[in-house]
Amino acid sequence: MDSFWMKILGFVITPLVAFAVGVTYGGIVRKITARIQNRVGPPIYQNLLDITKLYSKKTAVNHGVMQHLGPVFAITASVTSLFFVPVLRDSSFWFNLSFDGDLIFLLYMMVFGSLGMALGAGQTGNPNSAIGVSRGLALMVGYEIPFVLSLVALMIQFQTTSIHGLLAVQDTFSSWIIFQSPFATIAGILAFLGMMHYAPFDVPFAPAEVASGPASEFGGKYLALMMTSGSIFTFVKLVLFVNIYFGGAEDLLTLILKTFILYMIPVLTGIVNPRYRTEQAIQFFWKWPTVFGIIAILIVVL
Amino acid sequence: MVEIMISIPVIFVTIFVGAILTYLIKLIMPKVEAYFALLVSAATSYMAFALPKTESIYKFNLGSFNLMWGNNEYSHLFAMLVAVLGFFVVLYSMDFMAGKVNLGFYYFNLLVSIGSMLGIVYSQDFLSLFIFWEIMTWSSFMLVIYAQDEKFSVGIKYFVFSAIGAYLLLTALVILYTNSGSFLLEDNINNFIYLSSQNQILVIIFLIIGFGVKAAMMPFHVWAPDAYKAAPSSFTALFSGALSKMGIFGIGLVLFKFAIQNTDYFTYFQFALAWLGGITALLSTFYAVFQTDAKKLLAYSSIGQLGYIIVGLAVGTPLSIMSALLLTILHGAFKAMLFMSAGAVYYRTGLLDMNETRGLIRKMPLTFLTALMGIITVAGVPPLGGFVSKWMLYEALIQSNYYFLVIIIFVASTAAFLYLYRFIFSLFLGQEEKEFENVKEVPIKMIIPMLLLAGFTLAVGVVPGFVLEQISKAMGYLGIQTPNWENSVLFSNWENSSVNLMSVATSIGILFVLGAIFLTIKNYRSTRYVTTKDIHTSGEVPTENENLTFAVNFYQPFERSLGSVIKPSIDRIFNLIGKNIESAADYLRYIYTGNGQTYAMYVILFFVVLILFADLMFGFKF
Repeated sequence: MDSFWMKILGFVITPLVAFAVGVTYGGIVRKITARIQNRVGPPIYQNLLDITKLYSKKTAVNHGVMQHLGPVFAITASVTSLFFVPVLRDSSFWFNLSFDGDLIFLLYMMVFGSLGMALGAGQTGNPNSAIGVSRGLALMVGYEIPFVLSLVALMIQFQTTSIHGLLAVQDTFSSWIIFQSPFATIAGILAFLGMMHYAPFDVPFAPAEVASGPASEFGGKYLALMMTSGSIFTFVKLVLFVNIYFGGAEDLLTLILKTFILYMIPVLTGIVNPRYRTEQAIQFFWKWPTVFGIIAILIVVL
Repeated sequence: MVEIMISIPVIFVTIFVGAILTYLIKLIMPKVEAYFALLVSAATSYMAFALPKTESIYKFNLGSFNLMWGNNEYSHLFAMLVAVLGFFVVLYSMDFMAGKVNLGFYYFNLLVSIGSMLGIVYSQDFLSLFIFWEIMTWSSFMLVIYAQDEKFSVGIKYFVFSAIGAYLLLTALVILYTNSGSFLLEDNINNFIYLSSQNQILVIIFLIIGFGVKAAMMPFHVWAPDAYKAAPSSFTALFSGALSKMGIFGIGLVLFKFAIQNTDYFTYFQFALAWLGGITALLSTFYAVFQTDAKKLLAYSSIGQLGYIIVGLAVGTPLSIMSALLLTILHGAFKAMLFMSAGAVYYRTGLLDMNETRGLIRKMPLTFLTALMGIITVAGVPPLGGFVSKWMLYEALIQSNYYFLVIIIFVASTAAFLYLYRFIFSLFLGQEEKEFENVKEVPIKMIIPMLLLAGFTLAVGVVPGFVLEQISKAMGYLGIQTPNWENSVLFSNWENSSVNLMSVATSIGILFVLGAIFLTIKNYRSTRYVTTKDIHTSGEVPTENENLTFAVNFYQPFERSLGSVIKPSIDRIFNLIGKNIESAADYLRYIYTGNGQTYAMYVILFFVVLILFADLMFGFKF
């Protein structure tokens, strides 16, 4: 039963690694932001400290069961999505359940957490939370269009809807999808900007407008679990995009390098940009990113 | 003891005689009629379940016409839907309708409409199908105008559209009859090929429109939102859940028994119908986002979901048809859940306006749970059943060259999150108001059907096999090869493209339970509940009566982003269609004088025209 225990170990180790990487990235982002704004900034392990502090808080308040369960929805969605993404390309240790689901499943699985959070935030009765949720949902309709265009282009081109299939394609041609179908990649990366919620697309959580929106009523253990889930979810999205467009990774070091570079795209865009209004943010995705996505499909079809 | 054979005539006698008896009982012994109606529908549903498939065929002659009733696998699938939903709706009605006026009338029409739906699916000939179709239209029309506070024009709109559909059906049937000399479905299917190509196309278009009206396919959807809103919520659950599916039942038959024989044009039909379905899905979703009435929102959502079903049927690959039939069944369940929970809110508060209702979650937790599972199913989020059908539809579309239709469907389902959240937020979440302080959970007879349906959606999401089995048999009847399926694993034609629902459910289940336990027991004593007035307001203390609810213009940014281009044009298209059809409908009122003599003249005129032009139109001489 060696392989069985290895599998169990995989289920335990993968979220831990994801959390560690995600939380470190969060710290690094804070540091980079600070340096660009000419501040000293917190140490890169600051996010870990924050989360630890929040977990050790004694009191917690909630406005009802749905808010109580909101963060549980989030962590469930993050970790489940993680299990269904092949973290490393050829090492079965990191595959977990990734053979049991495909890209379309992942798209929907990733919404599960946002839905739970939205419901939890809704129960708090804070108008800012509701405004944040309504903005977030509207924004999602925005970036989902180029993202789906991009994915559909890839699915048609390579006749697969599974991530393993896309990885295998990049293996056989020994070139990443960014080189094989550049337009799909551009559409995907532009959608990725919206998905990561950094400026100019940070409308749902805009601190100055809606007081962090959906998160504003969560504190103590709830916020801690949300931040944990957020860190894992960041990692999931990064690995997913690296797998789809940039050939995946064979070892952890390559993975970290690739994900870090990918992560810097929304982060660096965000630091130097102000915030869009919600309708501007949505319309952004319906212009050039959508055009690129349509071009990607047309190239494949014609 | 006399042993009663379960056969189709017995079912019909039970339900139709039962309906009349219910009406009479109401006159003699009020308050008993609801229990009697429940008994009748329970007996009917039981018999529909127990009815042997294939061999239970019943033939008889009506005048010179051979008629036939029978139960096949395809009928059985729809009969299950009608039987289960019908029973649940009657159960739900017992408390929901209690104390209302004209209850005998209500239960009579409810039972008759259930019976006529069973009649439609069991009909093996076009004549009895048409008769049952008309009975169904009448009984549902009666229930649409049942609530007197609504404008009568709503009912008229519904009726006029149904009448247009019915006339098109009738015309198609006449063409078919002149060709085959029989009303039997089987004869018509076998002889369809002998029709001229032109008439084949005409028949198919007429039949699809005739059935499509009931399925609220665009552009024949105009009646649906108002009619769904006007009918009592209990009936709307059946209306949207089962009655509209009769249209799907018909379209399925037309496409795969008739249209498929016309090899030249079949692909065009598929293409047109698929895009019509896609546009229906997209436009009605956008329209649902901006509704303020909970039932109208659900009505538009229902139109959109039927759009998906039509897409699935039209695309015509085994996987897409399976997804369409699964969605047919599921939509029956989840739309009934949603209408029932909206009805439950109405039952307790008397409100359906989403700008006014709020914060009922702690008052009506079980209704909230139903609504929550309902919206998760509509949204297609795992682990509930909606995901299964959505996944199949996407895989099928991607693999069958409908690339841009995939995008439209994807956008429609993403935009669906907007109205779904709006629905559940406005009714159950947000600020808890004094106004609703004394609201209680609805009675158990309303809760039971809602929770059972919710359980069904969960079961379909984890082990869809038990539904897929009947669906693949139904597909066998339609002559379509069944795609690969296992009890809880979904497959598509492409390698590695599969989803193991069991591991999804296991992963979600374990993580969710662990997370919930962790959050609950951690600092259990120092976790406390605070009211929704006690929120972060940046230091300002809200006064007692300050309105902290965000409900009006919920999606204003989204509305703005649709901007000067899309939004008005959607409106314009809708208004244009609506106005034109409404004014056309007004003209129809000159025809519908309400005078029996005039109608008799129409019938004669119709036959005169038929005889005069039969030669020209159908190449047939009397």
